Amino acid sequence: MRRVPTFVLLLLGAAVCVGLDLAYDAAVSADRGYKFWLTIAVMCAINVVGATALNIVNGMAGQFSIGHAGFVGLGAYLGGFVAARVALLMKIPLDELRDNLSLTHSLIIFPVVVLSVAAVCALVGLVVGLPSLRLRGDYLAIVTLGFSEILRLTVLGTNADSAKNPITKGIAALGGSLGYRGPSVPGGDPGDFVGIPSVAGPFWIFGLAALMVFLAYRLKRSGFGRALRAVREDEIAASAVGVDPAKYKITAFVLAAVGAGIAGALLVLRRDGPGIVTPANMKFDKSFEVITMVILGGSGSVTGVAVGAVLYTTVFYAAEEGLLQLSRNYSAFADIDAAALRMTLFAAALIIVMLVRPEGLFGEREVWERKSKGGPKPPTSTKPAVATEAEA
Amino acid sequence: MLSWLQNAVAQGAMIALVALGYTMVYGVLRLINFAHSEVLMVSGYVAFRVDDRLLGGYERGGSKGLIIATCVAIVAAAVLGVTIEAVAYRKLRAAKGATARIAPLVTAIGVSMLLQSVAQLAFTATPQKFDPRLAPPMWFVIVAASAVMAALYALVHLTWIGKAMRAVAVNEEASRLMGIRPSRIIVFTFAIGSALAAIGAVLYATTQASIEPTMGTSIGTLAFVAAVVGGIGSIPGAMLGGLLIGLLGELVKSTSYSGMKDAIVFVLLVLVLLVRPAGLLGSARAEKV
Repeated sequence: MRRVPTFVLLLLGAAVCVGLDLAYDAAVSADRGYKFWLTIAVMCAINVVGATALNIVNGMAGQFSIGHAGFVGLGAYLGGFVAARVALLMKIPLDELRDNLSLTHSLIIFPVVVLSVAAVCALVGLVVGLPSLRLRGDYLAIVTLGFSEILRLTVLGTNADSAKNPITKGIAALGGSLGYRGPSVPGGDPGDFVGIPSVAGPFWIFGLAALMVFLAYRLKRSGFGRALRAVREDEIAASAVGVDPAKYKITAFVLAAVGAGIAGALLVLRRDGPGIVTPANMKFDKSFEVITMVILGGSGSVTGVAVGAVLYTTVFYAAEEGLLQLSRNYSAFADIDAAALRMTLFAAALIIVMLVRPEGLFGEREVWERKSKGGPKPPTSTKPAVATEAEA
Repeated sequence: MLSWLQNAVAQGAMIALVALGYTMVYGVLRLINFAHSEVLMVSGYVAFRVDDRLLGGYERGGSKGLIIATCVAIVAAAVLGVTIEAVAYRKLRAAKGATARIAPLVTAIGVSMLLQSVAQLAFTATPQKFDPRLAPPMWFVIVAASAVMAALYALVHLTWIGKAMRAVAVNEEASRLMGIRPSRIIVFTFAIGSALAAIGAVLYATTQASIEPTMGTSIGTLAFVAAVVGGIGSIPGAMLGGLLIGLLGELVKSTSYSGMKDAIVFVLLVLVLLVRPAGLLGSARAEKV
């Protein structure tokens, strides 16, 4: 089978994304109730980005991180800040800025956002990844949880009244528990915020999701991916054959942090988005959601995790809508806590998946790979000898 | 000053009670039982409901009612802890390979989320409070928590079953050869740890916190940090860690950074883990090939 050149794939992908962008606009202007499904599609794509990123560190490298929401939150705050600042620098009028920005504006703003978010998250990912050299398994999980909780609690606990020195004042500008709505309007009231511009149109969202899956797949099939799996299965054996676990573990953390940060930026900057970031974006529940997506799809499988993310997101929103309809039409459901019911279902589903099928829907296989006959078999070279030994 | 110290020690003692549950389960199973904080929350609800609905709260039950409610909560917590072990963890214990340590951890997080959302469905998210007149004085909290911890220490070091627990923690295979059934010891450990959480829950709920579905997360997190800082798996470590966290919390509360109290606790956690990965009193084990 001849391989399609990468740049052809990228060009094709970009063309498809422009098409999706136009289709999205057409569907919105048709105004026939597609909005609900469009929102689901957008959220699916964003969650694919986040889950694929977590899969690199949890699935491929086997370092259990439960602080993913910390990076997502970091990317969300940073993305909101940078986007609003750049939009102000470009002197976009306020009323235009508060509406959905045009694709041409976003072509300037959004790359700046992505690059700055990626840079900062990579740095933070490096710092959070460093403990992975000394700690394993559950201890490492605790540190990642600690990281996301430190971020969340610091933002949550700092408000304008208690801020005294420049550092706490800077943190207080993020709005504390009220949430961040961009910087104050220049020359306006202190309580009048610019708002977070919705610069991430469907072009960016679907494009980045596709790019992320593509890159992760290439990563998995590369020598780097094989080394990651070797480290996951047996660090001592891996280092014995010349794979430096430290290098690979930290790189996995950095990559996952960058992906999570971009997912966070998309989350707040998306078209018709919330326009606000709150510390709740960094709650442990959010990390739990992404972990569920990865486990459900099959950690280590790029396409499997993407399917897991789409499945989770679709069921999540469909369940919300369904419960809403039920509570409107039947009084018995009127005062049921929809969010809690949904969480109950998902938690129960996760436990059952873990007990019955701990490897998830697809295990480590990609969607098109089958154990039975039919379909191309995976090349034998992708499975490291260490892995097969450990599984035997 | 004295009342400040009394407050801090009482805080620390309550945190330590809950931390013991984490540390004991980790000792025998090498599993961070994330559901432990939810056992605490559920037992808080059980104590409150029994006291409020069945025994008539402060007006009719008085402190005698609270004691009965606490006993009911202890039993309920033990049953819940054992059930969680049987349903969610037992099957995964046989697993081998690289994911053997991670799979139970994921399930534990799942159980924690499940209990929290079920509690929200059953009891709603509205916080509930014990009658403030039921609150025991701070010295009583210290005395009660110390007594329970002393009893636990005696149980672990002076009785046959305590010896068996320590044996399972050191080497499960070897203890099996010595005629100990590890699965029974594990069930017993879950029961004792959960019972301690129930006592902690009642002390907390009567003295300061309100009972709500997220109560477990806020208190459990502190206790969990205490267990890890002290050295998870080590019983004196959990007590020391609890005391440290209690003191630190009260210290920070008196400064202008009071809003960042919990964040600072986590900073301490990360620092301790980086310097001494096994915690202050924990023993570091080399990874075996």
